[in-house]
Amino acid sequence: MGINEHTWKVISAIPYLLKGVGMTLKITFLALIFGAFFGLLLALARVYGGSISRRFAIVYSRIIRSLPLLVILFMLYYLASEILDLSPFLAVVLALAVHTSAYQSEIFRGSIQSISKGQMEAALALGMSKFQCVLYIILPQALRRALPYWSNEAAIVLKDSALAYVLGIAELMRRGEYVVARSSQSALLTYLIIGIIYFILTSVLTRSLLYAEKKLRIPC
Amino acid sequence: MAKQILRIENLRKKYGDTEVLKGVSLTVEEGEVVVIIGPSGTGKSTLLRCINHLTTADSGDIYLENQKIERGKTDLNKVRQQIGMVFQDFNLFNHLTAIQNVSIGLVKVKKMDKKKAMEKAYKELARVGLEDKINHYPAELSGGQKQRVAIARALAMDPKIMLFDEPTSALDPELIGEVLAVMKDLAMAGMTMIVVSHELGFARDAADRIVFLENGVVSEIGTPEKIFYNPEKQRTKEFISKITQLHTSGNNQESAGL
Repeated sequence: MGINEHTWKVISAIPYLLKGVGMTLKITFLALIFGAFFGLLLALARVYGGSISRRFAIVYSRIIRSLPLLVILFMLYYLASEILDLSPFLAVVLALAVHTSAYQSEIFRGSIQSISKGQMEAALALGMSKFQCVLYIILPQALRRALPYWSNEAAIVLKDSALAYVLGIAELMRRGEYVVARSSQSALLTYLIIGIIYFILTSVLTRSLLYAEKKLRIPC
Repeated sequence: MAKQILRIENLRKKYGDTEVLKGVSLTVEEGEVVVIIGPSGTGKSTLLRCINHLTTADSGDIYLENQKIERGKTDLNKVRQQIGMVFQDFNLFNHLTAIQNVSIGLVKVKKMDKKKAMEKAYKELARVGLEDKINHYPAELSGGQKQRVAIARALAMDPKIMLFDEPTSALDPELIGEVLAVMKDLAMAGMTMIVVSHELGFARDAADRIVFLENGVVSEIGTPEKIFYNPEKQRTKEFISKITQLHTSGNNQESAGL
């Protein structure tokens, strides 16, 4: 099979596709940061909070985890376009962050609860406040334990960021759509290339997190 | 008369329907070593945990150097700084090395300069014979070494009193000696201690008084001589001979649930 005109179009569009990687990473990164922040707060509320904050965290997690990401995205987008003047970019970041925060809260909750009660008691017995116990004793251990699961979640968010294309954000997937539209017979090749790019991104991400995991490992 | 360090008055604690402590009173003077013995489930650990408020008693008063400890009024973190506690299962901070375990309380609680804290932590670890293990993580230490780090960690805070909650119960028999030796040194050095333990050898050598706790009350209290050789109550006598048997007929501490 020689390189026909359509194939050539796709191949020459690779630099164009790669420009979308930046946007994909930006969305992923921001969603993960916000998601981790809220996820951790929710987990702390769930484990150490009073009855109201605990209940809120449980209900939040249950609702969000039962909604398709696409539904959250559209709800946020249309809600935002009516009330706030939220850009599609922020809507996507927020939707992904809300979505992943629920999953991350479960990850963090599990890892916090897996730290034995004695750790907290020993820290309290030294005279630490509960806040200090959590900050200096519980979290350093819990976050290490969470890392393998968190890294899995990070990969999911990276791939979910492809949904941003429905709001017309020029990330990797959307650019792929454009390329397909211009070279109608080479959809498969285009998506193959996009797939490979996602594969590389995901590999790099999970590999770096695995590296971090090993670096931070404590003898046990 | 020596200075009073701790006074417990009529302490009561219920777990659900079970009353674990049914009015326990005890006074500990400065430099005194009090060993608490008694059958399983009689509230020995609960009593210790109530002293530093890891567990809240239902009623009764606790005074530390004549200062009443009241939940809600007293700053519990301040109180706990002055009470060292050693747990049955060590509870070393798993993500910190031995020296970090000992220094973290100094840095975070006492706000000591990090370098000074490390120096003090080193000194405390040397005191329990672990100067060559300062950079080991808990997982890299034997049970006996872990418990000695735990003792050093508590000591570093310069507590007014040390509480030991069955410090050797989780240890392999051959490791018990090294921990007891450290505790004996501590007792000799004049540390005020309350020790829940069935190590009768330690009790005999180091205790000023032995408390026999049974069914949530202080059943008998007295010098080791009195408790071992001339107890007032038949139950005390029975218990002592039971424990002695267990200890001499092989190392059965663990299976006996002591």
